[in-house]
Amino acid sequence: MIKGTAASDGIGIGKVLVIEEHSLEYTPRTITDTEAETERFNGAVKEFIENTEAQAEALRKSAGDKEAEIMTGHITMINDPYLRGEIEALIKGGQCAESALETMCDMFIQMFSAADDEMMKQRAADVRDIKTGVLSILLGIKEVKVSEAPAGTVLVARELTPSVTAGINKDNIVGIITETGGKTSHSAILARALEIPAVLSVPDAASLFKNDQCVIVDGSSGEVIADPDEEQTNVYTKKRSDFIAERKELEKFRGVSTKSASGEEYELVCNIGKPADAVKAMECDGEGVGLFRTEFLFMDRTAMPTEEEQFEAYKKAALIVKGKPLIIRTLDIGGDKDIPYMGLAKEENPFMGFRAIRYCLKNRDMFKVQIRAILRASAFGDVRIMFPLVTCVDEVRDGKALVEECKAELRAENAEFNEKIPVGIMVETAAAAVLADVLAKESDFFSIGTNDLTGYTMACDRGNSDVSYLYSALQPSVLRMIKRTIECGRAEGIPVGMCGEAAANPQMIPLLMSFGLTEFSVSAPSVLKVRKCISKWTKQEADEVCAKVMSLATEKEADEYLSKVCVR
Amino acid sequence: MVKKTFTISNAQGFHMRPASTFAAAMMKYPCNVTISFNDKQINAKSLMNIMAACIKVGSVIDVICDGEKENEALAEAGAMIESGFGE
Repeated sequence: MIKGTAASDGIGIGKVLVIEEHSLEYTPRTITDTEAETERFNGAVKEFIENTEAQAEALRKSAGDKEAEIMTGHITMINDPYLRGEIEALIKGGQCAESALETMCDMFIQMFSAADDEMMKQRAADVRDIKTGVLSILLGIKEVKVSEAPAGTVLVARELTPSVTAGINKDNIVGIITETGGKTSHSAILARALEIPAVLSVPDAASLFKNDQCVIVDGSSGEVIADPDEEQTNVYTKKRSDFIAERKELEKFRGVSTKSASGEEYELVCNIGKPADAVKAMECDGEGVGLFRTEFLFMDRTAMPTEEEQFEAYKKAALIVKGKPLIIRTLDIGGDKDIPYMGLAKEENPFMGFRAIRYCLKNRDMFKVQIRAILRASAFGDVRIMFPLVTCVDEVRDGKALVEECKAELRAENAEFNEKIPVGIMVETAAAAVLADVLAKESDFFSIGTNDLTGYTMACDRGNSDVSYLYSALQPSVLRMIKRTIECGRAEGIPVGMCGEAAANPQMIPLLMSFGLTEFSVSAPSVLKVRKCISKWTKQEADEVCAKVMSLATEKEADEYLSKVCVR
Repeated sequence: MVKKTFTISNAQGFHMRPASTFAAAMMKYPCNVTISFNDKQINAKSLMNIMAACIKVGSVIDVICDGEKENEALAEAGAMIESGFGE
């Protein structure tokens, strides 16, 4: 078994086709008939444009307009009058077409690579593809036509170039294995868009596998099995048909609103940990982001991230979710994390110590940097601020006062931001849940963090196997905390969401619907599953189940009852 | 020669689409069109050069048109930048 990065879910069983990379080496010549050489170059460009147009058309059909745009972008770039003019000038000066092309492309590759902007860095890859494409034509190299590969082909390549990916179609390619690329690489995004199982970052894949070798690609676990025996083939054939059946069932819930069987609508959004995760959230049909954890910005570094750095990250996420809600949670960090520059002392009990909003309100200058960055990002979408670990009203008031202070500064600087940015809180402590009636008057929204709320309410560490049996959101005490929080929030007319794991738990969903939760925030891969689950319940059925559960005295009884009624 | 200063207002700055529509629009004019940004002089008829300059939201640039139909070119350039390229 060979392990790589699981980049696109599903199982593929088929025969290997290795995409070999041809050498693009040539001997530079001095040209005397420069007119003929210019013509040769222009002919190659014409052929390149024709090929690219065909690839764009194929991609538009298989993967959609957005993917095709990358190819049409290549045409726009090679048609750039400056680029073409300079290449022609070099040829007139006696250089051969190959070296003139290479000189100019390398110059742009260097310029784009040096940019401090991710999107511009991507352009370097585009120019590299253009160079390879035109150079191949000039050198008379015939590329393997992926579109003509037989049905049941597993593509193996060092990396997927756009011209290779353009030839991929679902009818003949059943799996993809590459040596480079991660979960968010272009190859991964494309493989997911085409629903082709893919395992990336498999070292030496292109030399490890041979043409026509049998392989199994498990894009869900990131495993590749070469030359499977009969038993393995049977096991994976079954896995494959189960996966396809489930995906087909779930696909019915893509692109539709999240509704109960009786028509009540809910918001179904995603939890993310970095801006790139927002891409996955959108791909999985999330209706926005209900929790954007900002800790990633502060980890693994030697100094605080600057306002600019934070602003860029928040703005990036806002642009990806395109006007849909983006709830940014301010820094939730304490003595359990080792971040030297923050000067957090090791403490006996970090989860009850100096952390999250408590730390931030004592380190106002640092906190203001984050709030200013979030406010500035609010000019680019429906951005909202959320404070973690709130236990009393003072923390909300202090935090909001700081937001107002930052707004005044930004106003004076003529910076753009949303004046009416909603400011809400996480309800994840027993104190906040009990005080929810008062907190609801001071907050624009609630989001219940069931992971911590369960731990704090049950006074139990889920990592300690001697007490972890107590850790369950179905504990009658935790259910009462949740119910109270939702009812208090709704009584004040504010939205109440949930961003803990319980929001995606099929046993919890009817209870949350009955309590009146307005927003479910779950991991991206759970979106369609949760939408399906919600659609199975009418409000009345959910109310009946909920009333019964709330009358039960123990977690065990609730669990037993729900495991019977939640088989839907 | 005519010259005017602008601040880039569209969120993504001069990325692929704005750069290519801008360069294409400037191609229509016989005059030279140059963007001056961070002490660099950029040929505004080349989308590659515009993109490589990495002009982001909030950047301040000068557009300089020199030659035949320079006033018309500057007027169209200004209209495009100020409208945020229709984003």
